[in-house]
Amino acid sequence: MVAKILAYVVRVHPAFLVVLSALLLIDLLTLFSVTPYLAVKQGLWEVFGLLMGLGILLVPYPLFLKNARWIYGVVLALLAIVFLAGHASHGARRWIGLGWFQIQPSEFMILGLILFLTWLFVPEKRDIPLRPARFAAGLLASVFPALLIARQPDLGTAFELMIIFSVFVFLKGIPSRIVTISVLAGLAFFPVLWEGVWTHLHEFQKDRIRAFIDPASDPSGLGYHTIQSIVAVGSGGWFGQGLSGATQVRYQFLPGAHTDFVFAVFTEEWGFAGALVFLALISYLVWFGFRTAMDCRDPAGFYLSAGVTGFFLFCFLINVLMVLGILPVVGVPMPLMSYGGSAMIISLGAMALLMNVRFYAKR
Amino acid sequence: MASEFRFHKNGILGSPRVRLNGLIFVFWLGMAVVVVRLYVVQVIKHHHYLALARDNVVKVVPIPPLRGEITDRNGVVLVRNGPDFAVFEIPGEVRHPRRELAWLAYDLGIPASQLRHSLSRLGFVLPPHMPVPLETGLSMAQVGRVNMDLYRLPGFYIQVMPKRIYPPDNIGAHLLGYVGSFTSSDLKGSFYRHLPPGTGIGKSGIEKEYDALLQGAPGLRRQLVDSHGRIVRNLRNEPPKEGRSLRLTIDMRLQMTAERFLGDRRGAVVALDPRNGEILALASHPSYSSEELSQAMSSARWKTLVQATDHPLTDRAVQGLYPPGSVFKIVTTLAGLSEHKVDPDASFHCAGTFRVGSVIFHDWKRGGHGTIHLHKAIEQSCDIFFYHLGMTLGPEPIARVARLFGLGSRTGIDLPAELSGVVPDREWKRKYLHTPWYPGETPPMAIGQGYLTVTPLEMARLMGAVAMNGQLSHPHLLLGERGNGTGQRAPDLTPIPIPKKDFDIVRADLRDVVAAPHGTGHPVNLPFFAIAGKTGTAQVVSNRGKNKGTKRPKADSWFVGFGPFDDPRIVVAVLIENGGDGGDVAGPVAREVFRMYYITRLAEKGNPAPAVAS
Repeated sequence: MVAKILAYVVRVHPAFLVVLSALLLIDLLTLFSVTPYLAVKQGLWEVFGLLMGLGILLVPYPLFLKNARWIYGVVLALLAIVFLAGHASHGARRWIGLGWFQIQPSEFMILGLILFLTWLFVPEKRDIPLRPARFAAGLLASVFPALLIARQPDLGTAFELMIIFSVFVFLKGIPSRIVTISVLAGLAFFPVLWEGVWTHLHEFQKDRIRAFIDPASDPSGLGYHTIQSIVAVGSGGWFGQGLSGATQVRYQFLPGAHTDFVFAVFTEEWGFAGALVFLALISYLVWFGFRTAMDCRDPAGFYLSAGVTGFFLFCFLINVLMVLGILPVVGVPMPLMSYGGSAMIISLGAMALLMNVRFYAKR
Repeated sequence: MASEFRFHKNGILGSPRVRLNGLIFVFWLGMAVVVVRLYVVQVIKHHHYLALARDNVVKVVPIPPLRGEITDRNGVVLVRNGPDFAVFEIPGEVRHPRRELAWLAYDLGIPASQLRHSLSRLGFVLPPHMPVPLETGLSMAQVGRVNMDLYRLPGFYIQVMPKRIYPPDNIGAHLLGYVGSFTSSDLKGSFYRHLPPGTGIGKSGIEKEYDALLQGAPGLRRQLVDSHGRIVRNLRNEPPKEGRSLRLTIDMRLQMTAERFLGDRRGAVVALDPRNGEILALASHPSYSSEELSQAMSSARWKTLVQATDHPLTDRAVQGLYPPGSVFKIVTTLAGLSEHKVDPDASFHCAGTFRVGSVIFHDWKRGGHGTIHLHKAIEQSCDIFFYHLGMTLGPEPIARVARLFGLGSRTGIDLPAELSGVVPDREWKRKYLHTPWYPGETPPMAIGQGYLTVTPLEMARLMGAVAMNGQLSHPHLLLGERGNGTGQRAPDLTPIPIPKKDFDIVRADLRDVVAAPHGTGHPVNLPFFAIAGKTGTAQVVSNRGKNKGTKRPKADSWFVGFGPFDDPRIVVAVLIENGGDGGDVAGPVAREVFRMYYITRLAEKGNPAPAVAS
């Protein structure tokens, strides 16, 4: 079976394989220039993620969907464990320690939620419109873990969960009447919502939003992330500063260089030309996901692959726009690129799900 | 009905497929924005941002925090900080590492390989702008020579670092522990500890147990430097947060007395307050120099310390496992009393031998003690009496009472790597040795030999519980943080379900062990201080079997006692390895600790002044 799958991937989708490998290598090279130790660790995670992806390919996706409730339940239980007794680091409680490494269940919630929402929203062989009851169940299933994660505090991942939910609801379609009413209600209650959300944010999260509004207000303080990120990108020029000339990274001028701002590191080192190549690679993956969904005649497969694609493209866009100072620093990491074992595994797992749908779905 | 739930009733986004196309359209739109923005930032405004990056590079240098001091209960400083010169390297700024390391090694007068070794301990895992300590503890001459050469050694600098100063003569070395610079393996689990390289972290003892309190938090010095690395100006400095200072329950006077009278012998002394579990002294010999271990040390020296036959790195007070010998007769007696298997008034004839099957056990006193009661049996430590009692009881009741006193499990003292002894019974032997319990193994257990092992701390706690009518204390070393109240915790005692009258019987006997002229503990007797206790002389290794032909080592000697008799305030446990007779060898050490306690804590409170200390 493994040989059959590998042969299928190599023969039918060589481009996908090449693009994915190229991105993984770029990731390692970029992290190596930040801190070699991290690159070694990330490399191990990549290998682990690829093996995991191969494992996912062995199981037809309908089987995943059939058991989506249980997968979701287990991840939710892990989240609850973190909430009660997680491993704290940097004032955040996000990890479960497992001997020499830690896992971050909030990342696994992303795959869990995608599977669960697909299962919840596509209960039958044919695609039927979304009923309010299922809509409400989906909302609860997304908001509850998102709240748990936001309390860790990890606004970025909570935000990602809400993106997934929005993508699914958008794909299923909601009546325009309801959209209009919610927008109007949102506007009317904006002060109340603002007060409710703002007072519950952590100080560093508020700082990021304040800094977005006026990055130059305090260069060494609040707007530091945004300004340093733009300076790093800008100093790249046409062909970049190379691995050794990137002073922004080398002098740790850029905070979070290995996580949220890994794209800034890459562009400082490889310039506009490198960035275009990189964007092309990412676009190919998005296109691949889009084709997978479009070619799939099974509604469940369609929603699964479309959901994965939507999640991937939004995370990617939000991260890049954040690095370029167009969106506030919300802490959404770049899929496949940012340092993090759990994140790498779920990114590769998402890619494997796409390939899974390609392989098993009726066309 | 169905159409009602569509996003648009009329048209282009009418089906999920079309909506997916919409998502992709959003993606292309976003990509267009990204490309335009990248073009603007990277191509059009490139020179502007390149200038910013080149001319204003912020260098972040961590400032190490000062580690907290450690004092005894009276505020006597045990561990403080002093200055130490160290040479650092910033790997990212060194141009010709090989050549310049060789120059530096020449200036320092040490081989270059040593410098490369300290570099490789941390260089790989840290980002290249982080300074790495190459050599600490520089002499003034070395500082002078390196200073003259610094002009041609860019990326190297000399910095004054705090260094730990420990009490002289290795006093309390095991208890205090030592610090060491962290290595890559320490970083592995917690990569973002953000400690500047060269910061000491606790490696053993109190330094390790309370590392998080003592450590403090490093500050950050943000420097704006130009492309040549020259400092343009300092940006917001975050000052380091000094570590907390700790106040221990140790009384330095008792600790010094204990170590002085322990002398060169291998052994341990534990003194604690049975009323609340505060450790007053915790000594172990042979010891090591905390200061030496805190500095970078050659692997050869480390090897000698680890492999030394007298194990200087072991804290015998909490990690040494010894047979308790006759001290354990207290447990056997209490087991007998609570099982109603011994009558304090019944007389017993000790003929000097005791027979189980074909094995003959001898008393320590040739010819035996004659006709005695329980009282005399404890006072003179008659073995035959307890062989008999042990055989009557069997191993389980003895083990049960021993476990009630906390033997066989850790006391939970706030020191890392505490060990616990073993309380054997039938089940234990089946589980760990896979053999049944033989009747001939019960008599040795009744007098604290055989498989039974304890640590001196466990014995001190046991005696404390006897002194306090069965209130088992929880030994601890931390009294509080300095300048933070007295830190008096509410006494936390666990009651042991044994009737008070049993303790009264045993305590009266223990008093006469010391007070009666023929008691085994009479060497401990002080005329002005009512001490009660029990001696122990535990044979360690047999000279038959595999040790045949070698000289039989002397027995481990024990004295464990408390005082004052009517109002117990201190328990002292003394163990001396291969010392010989418990009363004669361990007893005097305990007596001097008691004497010092009396002089410093009791004499001024209306008690008579003692005779001049010998």
